[in-house]
Amino acid sequence: MPEPSTESVRSLIADVDADPGELSLSPIPGGASRETWLIEAGEGRWVLRRDPEGSASLVPLSDEFSLIARASEAGVAVPEPLAFEPAGGRLGTAGILMPFIDGTSVAPRILRKPDYETARSRLTTQLGEALARIHSIDPASLNAVLPEPKGDPALAQISEWESQLDEIGEPLPAVELGLRWLRANAPEPAEQRLVHGDFRLGNFIVDERGLAAVIDWELAHLGDPAEDVGWLCIRSWRFGNDDRPVAGVGQLDEFATAYEAAGGAPIDRDRVRYWEAFGNVKWAVICARQAHDHLTGVRRSHELASLGRRICEPECDFLQLVQHRTGCPSATPAEHPPTT
Amino acid sequence: MQDRPDAADLLDSVAEYLFAELRPEVPREQRFKVLVAANLCAVVAREIRAGEEPEQEDLTLFGELLGRKVDDVRAAAAELSDRIRSGELDDRIEELAPRLEEHVRRKLEVARPGYTD
Repeated sequence: MPEPSTESVRSLIADVDADPGELSLSPIPGGASRETWLIEAGEGRWVLRRDPEGSASLVPLSDEFSLIARASEAGVAVPEPLAFEPAGGRLGTAGILMPFIDGTSVAPRILRKPDYETARSRLTTQLGEALARIHSIDPASLNAVLPEPKGDPALAQISEWESQLDEIGEPLPAVELGLRWLRANAPEPAEQRLVHGDFRLGNFIVDERGLAAVIDWELAHLGDPAEDVGWLCIRSWRFGNDDRPVAGVGQLDEFATAYEAAGGAPIDRDRVRYWEAFGNVKWAVICARQAHDHLTGVRRSHELASLGRRICEPECDFLQLVQHRTGCPSATPAEHPPTT
Repeated sequence: MQDRPDAADLLDSVAEYLFAELRPEVPREQRFKVLVAANLCAVVAREIRAGEEPEQEDLTLFGELLGRKVDDVRAAAAELSDRIRSGELDDRIEELAPRLEEHVRRKLEVARPGYTD
């Protein structure tokens, strides 16, 4: 990908801070649909998120800027956005300047490195608290930032990912079955809250003390808050720690205790299972979309290509989950006490 | 006839080199990309070794679910997808789930063997 010019980045930083002087830019790998650059100038470090040339995303960067600022006000650890540059400005495409946060978002490092042992022991609780704060944000305060919710939040999300699948045109009968199952089994519509939309290991910057920042707000929308919990728990985001549904480090009960203690509404396990089923279908569609971007030349990358052959993983997790067999659901179906 | 190693053996050799020799040599940020490349070689090698059988089994399965003989597996998958989407199979979701799991398991055998163990 073409590098933003160092002079433009320098003037962007000079607007909100002192002139950083000579600086260097290097790409930070891992961003799914936005470019992320590390900026270094002497002791100073910043991060630039920029739209790739010719891409459209669900939440425009200007709105992502406002959302992150709102989350920060609500006490969520985020990289406080410093400056927004619109498309056609100094960066070419739209971009956000943010401070650099020390730590890592790389899942295997967080889950396996001895340095993060303390962090792992705290993460489940910290994630519960962070998500409760995200969900505490008054949706009315987001009117200018996010589109109006479209009726039933589950049906709106199903339609969203159904149309994403239609744009790709890949025949995936198991995903289609998933979409029908999700329609047939949608829970009672929840009171809509701000949903992060991609709250999972990989989008958490973690340092030795635990959660340092929640990043990557580009899938944010108004919806059922349980959607974030189900997505957090899908097997793909456990990165091999299959018996620990919460980000590969913890159990749902511990997470729920922290979430509820921080002001979150009681977590309904059946609803979480539904959104976990949904999350598997959504991840399958995202995998197909990424492979499609490779195939159509939007972005040639063997990493994106490889995701086409990973569609079958969430497909399998979904099918097992809805057949109540093995798989790795975050919670066993609730045992309803006998009524007398 | 080509001389040996055959196609799958050649890919194995590339996968082994990428995984065991190159990966530790590259900067840390590049290691994941090398691992992905090694995995892709291994996927293709498994697909070659699996031969025609998985596709034949999918043809049989999709034919059964569509209720007629089919000969193009992608076209059959597309037709099945359309029929599921239209809602006409909604009363058979419970019956279709284990059948489609057979298809998904055949994909996993090539892409990620051991995933359901």
